[in-house]
Amino acid sequence: MTNLPLWLIPLFPLIATILLGTIAVTSSPSKKGPAEGIIGALAVMFPAVSFAVVVVLAYSMPEAGIRETLCNWIDIPMFKADIGFLFDGLSRIMLLFVTGIGTLITLYSVGYMHGDRGFARFFAYINLFLFSMIVLVLSDSLLLTFLGWEGVGLCSYLLIGFWNHDINNCKAANKAFIVNRVGDIGFILGMLCLVTIGGAGILNYDALNQFIQMIVSGNHVDIVVPALSVAGVLFFIGCTGKSAQIPLLTWLPDAMAGPTPVSALIHAATMVTSGVYLLARLGSMFVLLPVVLDIITVVGMLTAFWAAMAGLFQNDIKKVLAYSTISQLGYMFMAAGVCAFDASIFHVFTHAFFKAALFLGAGAVIHALAGEQDMRKMGGMIKKTPVTACVMIFAFLAIIGFPGFAGFWSKDLILEKLYVSGPMGPYFYGVGLLTAVITAIYMGRLIILTFFGEYRGSKESEEHIHEAPAAMLLPMGVLAFGAVFSGYLWADSMGITFFSDTLAPVVGSAQAYNALNHIHGHVNPMVFAGLGTLAAVLGMFIAYKIYGKARVPAAKGSSAPQGFKATWTFFFDSVHKYCGIIPVSVLAWICDVVVDKILQAIQWTLGAIATILGDGAASFQVRKVRLQVAFSIAGVAALVIVVLLTGGIV
Amino acid sequence: MELQPIYIQILALAIFAIGLMVAISRRNLFFVLMGIELALNAVNLSFIGFAKTLPADMSVAGQIVPLFAIAVAAAEACVGFAMVIMLFRKKESIDADNYSNMKG
Amino acid sequence: MLLHLLVIAPFIAAVLMVATSKEDPKSSSRLAILFGIAFVVMSVMLIAAGNQATNPIEWFRIPGTKGPVYYYLYSHGLGAWMVFLSCALSLVAIITARNTTCKNFRNFVIGIFSLMGAMNGTFLAADAVLFFFFFEAMVIPAAVLIAGFGGKDRTKAAMTFAIYTLVGSAPMMVALWYLLTISDNSLLLSLAVALQSLPEGTQTAILVSFLLAFLVKTPIFPFHGWQAITYAEAPAPLSAILTGAMSKAGVFGFIAWILPIFPLSMSVVNAMMWLGLVTAVYGALMALRANDGKKLLAFSSMSHLGLAVAGVFSLSEAMLPAVLVLLVAHGISAGAQFFLMGIAERMAGTRELDKLGGLASKNPVFSTLFGAAGIMSLAVPGTAGFIGEFTVLLSLWDMGPFPALVMGFSMILSAAYMLRFIQKVIFGKQAREYEEGTRTSGLEGAAIGVMTILLLVFGFHPAFITNSLHLFDEQAVEQMADVNKAEGEETATETMEMDEDETPIQAMSAEELAQLDSTLAANGFSEEERKSLIAQISGVESQLAASDSVDVIQAAADSAVMLADSAKTNVEALNKEASND
Repeated sequence: MTNLPLWLIPLFPLIATILLGTIAVTSSPSKKGPAEGIIGALAVMFPAVSFAVVVVLAYSMPEAGIRETLCNWIDIPMFKADIGFLFDGLSRIMLLFVTGIGTLITLYSVGYMHGDRGFARFFAYINLFLFSMIVLVLSDSLLLTFLGWEGVGLCSYLLIGFWNHDINNCKAANKAFIVNRVGDIGFILGMLCLVTIGGAGILNYDALNQFIQMIVSGNHVDIVVPALSVAGVLFFIGCTGKSAQIPLLTWLPDAMAGPTPVSALIHAATMVTSGVYLLARLGSMFVLLPVVLDIITVVGMLTAFWAAMAGLFQNDIKKVLAYSTISQLGYMFMAAGVCAFDASIFHVFTHAFFKAALFLGAGAVIHALAGEQDMRKMGGMIKKTPVTACVMIFAFLAIIGFPGFAGFWSKDLILEKLYVSGPMGPYFYGVGLLTAVITAIYMGRLIILTFFGEYRGSKESEEHIHEAPAAMLLPMGVLAFGAVFSGYLWADSMGITFFSDTLAPVVGSAQAYNALNHIHGHVNPMVFAGLGTLAAVLGMFIAYKIYGKARVPAAKGSSAPQGFKATWTFFFDSVHKYCGIIPVSVLAWICDVVVDKILQAIQWTLGAIATILGDGAASFQVRKVRLQVAFSIAGVAALVIVVLLTGGIV
Repeated sequence: MELQPIYIQILALAIFAIGLMVAISRRNLFFVLMGIELALNAVNLSFIGFAKTLPADMSVAGQIVPLFAIAVAAAEACVGFAMVIMLFRKKESIDADNYSNMKG
Repeated sequence: MLLHLLVIAPFIAAVLMVATSKEDPKSSSRLAILFGIAFVVMSVMLIAAGNQATNPIEWFRIPGTKGPVYYYLYSHGLGAWMVFLSCALSLVAIITARNTTCKNFRNFVIGIFSLMGAMNGTFLAADAVLFFFFFEAMVIPAAVLIAGFGGKDRTKAAMTFAIYTLVGSAPMMVALWYLLTISDNSLLLSLAVALQSLPEGTQTAILVSFLLAFLVKTPIFPFHGWQAITYAEAPAPLSAILTGAMSKAGVFGFIAWILPIFPLSMSVVNAMMWLGLVTAVYGALMALRANDGKKLLAFSSMSHLGLAVAGVFSLSEAMLPAVLVLLVAHGISAGAQFFLMGIAERMAGTRELDKLGGLASKNPVFSTLFGAAGIMSLAVPGTAGFIGEFTVLLSLWDMGPFPALVMGFSMILSAAYMLRFIQKVIFGKQAREYEEGTRTSGLEGAAIGVMTILLLVFGFHPAFITNSLHLFDEQAVEQMADVNKAEGEETATETMEMDEDETPIQAMSAEELAQLDSTLAANGFSEEERKSLIAQISGVESQLAASDSVDVIQAAADSAVMLADSAKTNVEALNKEASND
């Protein structure tokens, strides 16, 4: 029982990828695709088995975790790296919900993708994603984490551009990959920075922690902090790319071009939270770097507020959710910034449930409306699709932090940690609370526009509205259950601290180190709970006042994501355009039109000179063959005479 | 009276000069080629003449080289005449002055 | 034997191909593919066999030089892998060309085989003149093939290519001849020794003329004028060979000839590294704007090779394996991309990106391969490209953060242009109506599929590549250097008196071997690796003992050492210089 090898966990999705990929490629020339039943069963079974393995391992895991080195990966002078896995409190939590929610969403996709031409291809990608994500959280070294890190980015690219006949989807996919690449380069350089500080072995998490401990116990903190800070900032750049924080946030709203289950799995529940995971994993390093932590907190705060504001103005149901994801990720980063890594992972955990439920619900709505994503053309759906509406409303209550629901526990925990974090704490707290109000407003708007009031779409489309099939409803139900109850794993005010206990072996020492230096005072948690509840209720009230009665303006044009043209990313798309794309284009233009032309001109000049010289030499050539022969003989004679007279040159 | 080596050289020189003059002065391509052949044979003759000045055991090399030269000359003549025929087919002329395509 | 076969047999194969039918590609392609497979098998055997050398055969003497030119082949990990690239890409080229060039397929194959023989010779030559001979010989079949089978501008492309590369290596020829007039023979060590005796100005002049040849061949930034038009106009299978194998001759030259022969100063090293980095960024920027699919790939190749050159001149310890992995990865992925682009051109009748598109729905198998090859060239972890680029980045980071940042920038750009390329070719809707050409055949698909799988395999187990370099590993090199130390010193001082009766090299005694064995064991070599290594060392020595020319023995033993050793001394010198500053 207990000695299941760790490599089993990523193995199953990998097998599924290879199987489904082979099926997808071999069946592609045939007119009729492979049987969906078999494909779907295969696609769901392998992640499910993986989930089962995780559960077994999670149940029997020793306190210190399981470590397993599989084989050597890179072995060259200066650099050695192994492929190894680490299963501890942190990766246990992450793996449980990655494989668990992954399985559920795969099941949902079987219903959602029904009849699509690329059915097998889709599930090959999904399984490849799960493989990469598992490797990301299970690996025991930064390098292997990076394999998963770029792997999930790649799968995200493949899945955003899944419907590749539409060029806009491809552009959105390209954007996601390129923006992520910027972050990834930060990650790589961060790793190199660490290697410079502590040798190749330091990329291993255990070695890194030992290294940090050694520094702390030897009082060498001040010496390494500058170098470590550079590494920390570089890693943080990697995190901003993957987790869509300022300034690299623009790709996530566009990523909604992918199929909805993909948005739920990759762009809400799992992949985008890997940045938070990395911060927690490197927690022992980050606590030494107060400057970097401040940057993280401020960036998280700005992102949370900014994205919430942007969410207010979206008409596309998925884009509202995308901005809400960015905003929630901002919360997690704020928590990580004040060294409350366990709180941020807890929010990752609860967020995975309620945001996945929201996305799946949105998917069910879109499915029911045959692809319509514009909220202005919805309304009154609660009568037609009651189950979906219930799921969405539960998740809605969870995300706004309504008392008793999952988000309440995790969000209030983060706000509380923010408040006590230091002299700036109350300000952070204030912005966080304000963001919570805005969250309640835009989420309330989404629910009201979608489910209440009158149906605003065309008459003929109204008749086709139907509840989703059971394969889609079942995962939604499970996730809604999680959205309601997952918060009770860590209900401070009720004395339940199960969640923080599981994480304590991993991030406990880091947080203790931070608490020693920074945190002071203790405040009554009931006050925060009360204020949080007030924020949620206030937001709902405002949303009801504004959107409950008001006439919704008629939809103009399409709201579907259009490549580079995401609406309301405020000016970040412009920032990217003017700081990134245009300079590069100008540089490319200079290279192409100026430098290359100059080089060609030089080449041409040299060629021309050679030609002119050749022409000049050719003019010595006479027309008569006989004369030429005579000349050459005369030349030979001259040479012979010279040699005879001088006695040779050498 | 024994044949003096110098006479052989003089003969070779004369033949070479004749060959050269033919090659240079005639316009007919056949004559040009024949002139070259003649010059080649003169060189062969010169070789043998010099070989004769050496003691018998060392003169073998001087007598072998002309054999090679004759073989090469035969091949060269073959190719040369074939080319002339091809040229004639192309331009209906074997006047060397008509062929100045190689001028750049 | 293997070495001789790999160099000479391609030419024999080319001659044998004459016997097959000119009109009917079916019969000739069978023979050609058989030959191709045989060569690939031989090259794999060569890699597996590790370091080996042939007996040096005196070839000819150049007037004015002291020593003879040897026909002398020597295989080390680097050369063996390059030979593998040239053989494998030639095989796939033959397979894909069968569907593209039906007319005169036989002549195409003849050209490919001669090109392959010349490339193998370049990568295996241990004698500088022999190397130069093959280095120049590569150009001729390539230019003929371009002129015969290329696109619209083929004559211009062939002329540009031939003249540019031949002119580029002309100074090297003069410099080499000059070096030969003062050195004992044309082997690596004698050249290095001879160079030491020259005044500094002459050394620099010789260095520059050597560098120029390799800079043009790679090509590196200001000397890349021939590349885009050549790769674009050449038939796609040939472009794949040109970029996958022939352009490697430049980088190979830097590693195998420049580094061991020349004592490089810090400024030269820095300049070369920055040239490489500029090339990487410049190529990427040009690729961003390119509208011709093959030109885009040409610039992408240029960008990657720029990185390789920058990696070479980072001169860190990890440089050799890093660059080798990068080269192999680039050779396979760029080769595959050119093949696929050729197929796309065949299907759609154009290679302009704006007129392509929508192939994903029309031909899914092709598009899967196309996407996979494209993504693998992006250095996504788990592919060989990642190992190469990461380790090269590591080497560059050793030189300072700024070079590494520039390389990071070029990696971001590479994602930008490659994704644009993929999107334009296979995604979206068909840009125009056209009559569809021949689709991907099963054999082509399988061949390119194997290439992508190879990239994955090397990505997860780069030891296949890096282990073949273990003879260059520091410990092994030091051991061998110790054994040869006495002779090495003598050659430096009294080069001419060597052919007296002292035994040139003591065969390693049993106890020395045991010591080597334990050192290796301590450094984590496995049982088999140690055994094979020792067997090789003793094999090389017995062979050396059999050989009769002292100079040759000396150079034979030392060329292996020199290769890595002088690179190391270079680094040490640089460090000293840096600390003085």
